[in-house]
Amino acid sequence: MTLARPMAARATLRLAALMAVAVTVLSLGAMALQYRLVEVRLMAAARAALAADLGGFGALYDQRRIIALRQAIDFRATAATGEEMLLLLDRQGAVLAGTREGWPVGVTARGDGFGVEPAEIVVEGGVRWLTVARELPGGFPLLVARSLRPMDETLAAMRRGMLGLLAALLVAGGGVGWLAARSVMRRIGRVNDLADRVAEGELDARLPGARSDDEFGLLETHVHAMLDRIQNLNRATHRLSDTIAHELRTPLNRMLQKLSRIEGQDDLTAELKAEMRQAIRMFDSLLDISRAEADQGTGGGLVPVDLSAVAAEVWDLYEALAEDKGLVAEARVQPGLRVLGDRTLIAQALANLLDNAIKYCAAGDRLTLVLEETGDRHLMRVQDTGPGLPDEMKGAAFDRFVRAERDRGLPGHGLGLALVRAIAARHGARLVLPEGRGFTLEIHWPRLQQSD
Amino acid sequence: MQDRILIVEDDAETAAAVRAEVEGLGCAADHCATLEAGIAAAVANPYKVIVLDRMLPGGDGVEAMAQMRAGGSGALILILSALGRAANRVEGLEKGADDYLPKPFEPEELRARLRALLRRGTMQVLDNDLLAFGDLEIRLKARTVHVKRAHVAVSPREFELLTYFARNAGQVVTRMQLLENVWNLHFDPGTNVVDVHVGRLRRKLEEAGSTAIQTARGEGYVFAPKVGG
Repeated sequence: MTLARPMAARATLRLAALMAVAVTVLSLGAMALQYRLVEVRLMAAARAALAADLGGFGALYDQRRIIALRQAIDFRATAATGEEMLLLLDRQGAVLAGTREGWPVGVTARGDGFGVEPAEIVVEGGVRWLTVARELPGGFPLLVARSLRPMDETLAAMRRGMLGLLAALLVAGGGVGWLAARSVMRRIGRVNDLADRVAEGELDARLPGARSDDEFGLLETHVHAMLDRIQNLNRATHRLSDTIAHELRTPLNRMLQKLSRIEGQDDLTAELKAEMRQAIRMFDSLLDISRAEADQGTGGGLVPVDLSAVAAEVWDLYEALAEDKGLVAEARVQPGLRVLGDRTLIAQALANLLDNAIKYCAAGDRLTLVLEETGDRHLMRVQDTGPGLPDEMKGAAFDRFVRAERDRGLPGHGLGLALVRAIAARHGARLVLPEGRGFTLEIHWPRLQQSD
Repeated sequence: MQDRILIVEDDAETAAAVRAEVEGLGCAADHCATLEAGIAAAVANPYKVIVLDRMLPGGDGVEAMAQMRAGGSGALILILSALGRAANRVEGLEKGADDYLPKPFEPEELRARLRALLRRGTMQVLDNDLLAFGDLEIRLKARTVHVKRAHVAVSPREFELLTYFARNAGQVVTRMQLLENVWNLHFDPGTNVVDVHVGRLRRKLEEAGSTAIQTARGEGYVFAPKVGG
């Protein structure tokens, strides 16, 4: 089947993508956790360093106030690494000591102690600073800040690494997932191919090679066991019908030979012979039905058949009978319509339908046979203006041994339509029972696919 | 010389019934109860007709036909089998049987078919266009029928029917034979649809003054034109 390939491919891709995404999301979570931890630690370290600075300055201030503080800041400023920001102003805002010329914009002094809290983060020149601004008693603003650049650079490097890792994970996950999914799908595909071959009638198809020791092997073993069973049942059906035929017809044959030796009671023997013939017909129909059902769906035994010719021949046979009974019989058969089929079965189905119609119709009724091409199907319609199907058996008309109460007096065994249905199913044809007066049955035969 | 017919049949009673018909036709009958013996006999003797069962000890008669023919048997083969569904019959004929009669069979039916086969064995190819039976003339190429020089209009199927009768002139022809040979249908339609067609042809011929087709009570029809009458 052509449908199976893209579906399997899509399932493979979906499974691969799912695996890649799942792996990536999990790793992303783990990395985010780690990143957060590092960030918190680095910030704590920066705070600790700033607290140490402030602690030092606080101790000097406690000893000799602004003088000591100014000397210490001066000293530090000469050895500045650029990683710190120090500034001490006087009451008028002039610089007493520091690493810079003026108070940074937007920073307001808060509090007067040497504790690290409250601290704020100030961005200047593209660098983040952990900043503590105070106004020391007497109106001396003090600014102590530490650059967060080392920390930010570390985090940026981490982020870059994570991003690269992420991309690699996606690719690797996708690749591995695709490989895994493809191997899974290939093994499922084997089973699917097998099912396709069986559906096309190759009941003895099996997977070659040894079963693997896993779930797939088990699946294949189960499928094989099922197929063996189906094949055995099918074979048994075929054998049984031959056996029944032999075991029933042989004694019937002896009876018939003995009947032929009876003399002087011709009417009685003729009736008995007719009864036997009916019994055999019924029994053949049952076997034909079960054989057609067993072979259903398999193309085996079907050959190109000129449906038009078969229809015309059977019609020719029954038209005279219909006319003799006073029916108005008409056939419109489009020539040259071909199907893949079994000529005898098709003829039997049509003969059953026409025989039924003639049996139930009365003089003056119309009987029409139409065979025409409709799209990708050949439509065969048998239509009469007779009594039609009684309402009570509309749903069950195609079941075996179903006969209407009113027809008990007419000959028949209630297998005609069941056989028609089985034959239609054998050919992949559709049966339609349109509503309306009389009895109408449509058989939509699949057209023979030709290369011409 | 007496024609010889071989019966390959495992059911003794059926074999006896077949033998009675064969001897009634003035032929000699040999009987084998297994397929193996049947094949050996068929190859060893020049039989005219072989009446062959299918489900025999040793296998299916249909499969043995090829062996018999490969062994040099020129006999015509009539399958007489309990495998009597339409599908079985078509299968047997397709595999090379000359006729196929399902069991249970009526003695008259077997007799008619054996006669047809015996006749087919001796009949020369009809290469002349005209089949003449006294007043009745059939022209095969023109597909026309004349009775007492007057044209009788028949349908194509009626023409086929008449030529089949003509080829078996003087012998009983059964309804089943007509259905098989004229309509090429190998199932029992239940109703005697064939009677209607024979009736029509018969009326047409009678209106033109020929009583060639007659009913053989309980058996079928017989084409018995009065030659020269």
